[in-house]
Amino acid sequence: MPAVESPVPQDPADALAAVAALRRLADQLEDAAVEQAMRAGWGWPQVAEALGVTRQAVHKKHAKRLIAAGVELRRRSDVRN
Amino acid sequence: MSAIDGYLHAIIVRAIQEAREDGSATIEAHHLLLAIAADNEATTHRILTTAGLDRRAVRDALDWEFEHSLRAVGVSPAACALPRPSPVSGQPKIGASARLALERSFASVRRKKELRPAHLLLGILQAQVGTVPRALALAAVDQDQLVNRVQQALSSEDA
Repeated sequence: MPAVESPVPQDPADALAAVAALRRLADQLEDAAVEQAMRAGWGWPQVAEALGVTRQAVHKKHAKRLIAAGVELRRRSDVRN
Repeated sequence: MSAIDGYLHAIIVRAIQEAREDGSATIEAHHLLLAIAADNEATTHRILTTAGLDRRAVRDALDWEFEHSLRAVGVSPAACALPRPSPVSGQPKIGASARLALERSFASVRRKKELRPAHLLLGILQAQVGTVPRALALAAVDQDQLVNRVQQALSSEDA
């Protein structure tokens, strides 16, 4: 049982709006979390594995934004393990 | 470039900025509404301010809708406080709700040259479901009345 009960809202409009809002929140959370990880020196393969997506997908989605933000990205040769 | 092309261009440019600030990869209908509310075009400005909708009020209503919708499933956005991500750098694409709003705007005129700024607002306000109608309802704005005002303004311009 979850700690907080969160039943599906009775009104379909509320339930559908919750889906849209959760997607938006997940996107915001992903942008922030990936940036935080890359600033902390994580590599693309680790971030991708932690998110459960391919390295190509996470790179395509975030590389441009992080480079524009001046985040120093680890090169493949920097990977230690 | 005709006057309406200039207006559409200005609104799209502003909507792109609104989408970026939102961290959104797509321009949605609510970004178009924010852009229209931030613009000084006489007719749409008069209609929106009469309803108490300047850009700030629209933004507040949208933020409220987001939180309200999350709370309905027991989620508090404040509970996920991470550092604010850097803004989207690429060009946001037109999203589904903005595309619908534009299609409805164009469907309300016979020829593109008849299109005026208020038609764009009308296209956005014709949505019966989704983020914009929910945000307006939460802000206690009567959407049907707003649509009537836009239609009245358009027909008085025609007369």
